[in-house]
Amino acid sequence: MYNKKLVDNLTTGQSKLLSSRRRESFDHFKYLAQGDYKRINLIDYQFPEYNPYNKEYLKEKKGQDELLIKRMTDNLNNEEEILNYLDQFKDKKVKKGNQGLDAKYLTMAEAFYNTGLFIKAPKNVKLKLPVEIFYQLDQENPVLIDNNLIVAEENSSLTVVFDYRMQDQNLEAFHNGLTRVIVKDNAVLNIVKVQRFNDQSDNFDSNISLVSNQGELNWIPIELGGRNSVTNNENTLMNAGSRASISSVYFADGDRKLDLGFKMNHQGRHSSSKIESKGVLKDRAQKVFRGDLYFQKGAGQAKGSEKEEVLLLDKTVDSDSIPALFSEEDNVEGEHAVSAGQIDEQLLFYLMSRGLTKAEAKQLMVEAAFNPIFAKIPLNDLKGSVINDVKTRIRS
Amino acid sequence: MGEKTEVNDIDRSLHEEKNVAKHRYQSAKGLTPEVIKEISREKDEPEWMLKFRLKALEIYKNKEVPTWGADISDLDMDNIITYVRPDADLQSDWDQVPEEIKNTFDALGIPEAEKESLAGVGAQYDSEVVYHNLKEEMVEQGVVYMDMENAVKEHEDLVKQHFMKLITPNDHKFSALHGAVWSGGSFVYVPAGVDVNIPLQSYFRQNAPGSGQFEHTLIILEEGANAHFIEGCSAPKYSVNNLHAGAVELFVNKGAKLRYSTIENWSRNMYNLNTKRALVEEDGVIEWVSGSFGSKVSMLYPMSILKGARARAEFTGVTFAAEGQYLDTGAQVIHDAPNTTSTVNSRSIAKDGGHAYYRGLLKATRNAHGAKASVSCESLMLDNESKSDTLPIMKLQTDDIDIGHEAKVGRISEEAVFYLMSRGISEEEAKAMIVRGFVEPIASELPLEYAVELNNLINLELEGTIG
Repeated sequence: MYNKKLVDNLTTGQSKLLSSRRRESFDHFKYLAQGDYKRINLIDYQFPEYNPYNKEYLKEKKGQDELLIKRMTDNLNNEEEILNYLDQFKDKKVKKGNQGLDAKYLTMAEAFYNTGLFIKAPKNVKLKLPVEIFYQLDQENPVLIDNNLIVAEENSSLTVVFDYRMQDQNLEAFHNGLTRVIVKDNAVLNIVKVQRFNDQSDNFDSNISLVSNQGELNWIPIELGGRNSVTNNENTLMNAGSRASISSVYFADGDRKLDLGFKMNHQGRHSSSKIESKGVLKDRAQKVFRGDLYFQKGAGQAKGSEKEEVLLLDKTVDSDSIPALFSEEDNVEGEHAVSAGQIDEQLLFYLMSRGLTKAEAKQLMVEAAFNPIFAKIPLNDLKGSVINDVKTRIRS
Repeated sequence: MGEKTEVNDIDRSLHEEKNVAKHRYQSAKGLTPEVIKEISREKDEPEWMLKFRLKALEIYKNKEVPTWGADISDLDMDNIITYVRPDADLQSDWDQVPEEIKNTFDALGIPEAEKESLAGVGAQYDSEVVYHNLKEEMVEQGVVYMDMENAVKEHEDLVKQHFMKLITPNDHKFSALHGAVWSGGSFVYVPAGVDVNIPLQSYFRQNAPGSGQFEHTLIILEEGANAHFIEGCSAPKYSVNNLHAGAVELFVNKGAKLRYSTIENWSRNMYNLNTKRALVEEDGVIEWVSGSFGSKVSMLYPMSILKGARARAEFTGVTFAAEGQYLDTGAQVIHDAPNTTSTVNSRSIAKDGGHAYYRGLLKATRNAHGAKASVSCESLMLDNESKSDTLPIMKLQTDDIDIGHEAKVGRISEEAVFYLMSRGISEEEAKAMIVRGFVEPIASELPLEYAVELNNLINLELEGTIG
């Protein structure tokens, strides 16, 4: 299983520095107790058997020549550069509030990743077309442990789209991912993550970012699948004018369980952040929303806002919200708002009076709630298929 | 960056007048079954109460100190003398109350307050109620307002039926401790349909060094009854850490309405770990008005359990954390019946390195269809030495509900100051007005005598220093 032998296997013939990084992580991993997710009754979770991941996942595009893209599992010649980037995350862990994905899962991804990409937009390079990454799971590749590092150097701009998906409805698959992101001065980076696993698969995903002076990072996480899905998105706005936003959408039906964490650590003056989450719960779905806005000492004139809206479609759903606002500075503006409830009956009645069935009317209203965020998805094909997926789920 | 508003600490000289401690009986330090038996014997309690205490002690010993919230590692639990009986017998005539104790109460204005239309005064000095009075008309209507010790004997059935049923020793370490060593407090019983139109007031006070205060308040409102209970706290300062672990159990029956107001103003060495709960039946109403100003550490989260259909809860709270204070407060509401409603309105102010923490829970169970709830938390930070945190947890288990939550943190709005100044008001006065306006929703909920105390605590001080 996940032991020294496996680490030795994974590091044989690999780049030295990254291999030693795997071994360091394993040294932590082996002593860590595995945490539970009590709110969604995910107790004593067993990692499935390791399996290599060999599926082609990157769509080559014209006009991306200036971009640096490497596979983290290859024998890399720029490992020093990668390690320098990774070292910037050291000592950046913020103790207060939601602690993100359990350390066992994090160190597991660092020690045993079976795929992953290093993507860098060099200084002053502005890319219009998004980079598309498809992590597809199938019978041959049922375990995905991706370790990604995305760097937007000074004054660059880049959009990256991750599509986690599977066709097989009976496959029991597992994903544990780690994506680290660095946004340098004046750079703009957009990241879209779509998760559409089947009802037998488990998803764990951790996203950690550092944003520098006037840098801007926009996340669009879209959660539509999985049996258990635990994700975390933690951003540190390190310097003056750092900006970050999260526009999250989730749709949970059946017996799906979601535990979604979002966190903004404000360290720089005039830094600004926005967390927006829109979701629908149906059947016996359970969801936990954790959203932290943390204004650390020194973050004068920072602004942060957090908004959660959840539509509850059945009496059997479970919806937990844990929004937190922590402040160590007086000259900040922080606010959060949560609204939860049923679909507005008057609107429903109006739509039905215009000839729509109740199901159609509900569907229309869910779409209306999601559309402002879906509109941000840069690829039309992906946007279309995501909207379709939601439609099918509401109908079922 | 604009100028900062200077807001001074509350003047505590009035409240920190200490008497030389003089005690008739003081239990040995540390907690053993023998100590508990002695307390029970002193109080001449029925056997079931002693058994209850011993069982709670057992639970207390096996429970862990909570690891979340405040740091209470400075609190030396074994050294807290759990029972301090003042050198006074229970008095119903003010003239017979010992002079020393009287002086302290006089300084706090209790007799005056009574003159001003209070129904009764249950003043607690240390752990024992020393003075009790209830207007005759109330007694005629069957209203009971007495100290808990006597209630255990005189209204044994009622007490036995309700005592620590809402807050059980199993809930947490401090409720177990309370169950074992509780002493003093008030018992209120309002029969069906009776409207106690003047507030019942009880003033708690701690005097002996190292003593804990574990008063128990039990209020039962029968169908359609109406009452307002006011609890106020103040303690003189000593160097030994003090612990307050009281319990408040409120039973609001069908159609009854209870307002429970508190101004907590313990001295700055107090650990205030109080537990308060209300059970509200059909069409019943509980209203909490809560001001937290004193203590070194507070962890206080009054809970309203809306058990009957259309029951309603309202919470209005102000927390003011100044230098050296960590005040962790909030409201909990459980919607467990159809069409129940709740409103939580919390305001907190942090200054001079104080730490204000709002921690709340809103839960709607599968039974709570048609429930409506709104939670609003606002925090004002007066400088960047202080800290302010907000953590309102929501747990929703049904679809047909309407839940809204809002929270804000920030400092005095410069635009508002600018606007007021453009209308000819000085900058200092403008800022003072804004701070006063911030706590106004709570001040206006309190009866006059207490609004005056609140004024002493905030408004006058703000005005005096800013102007």
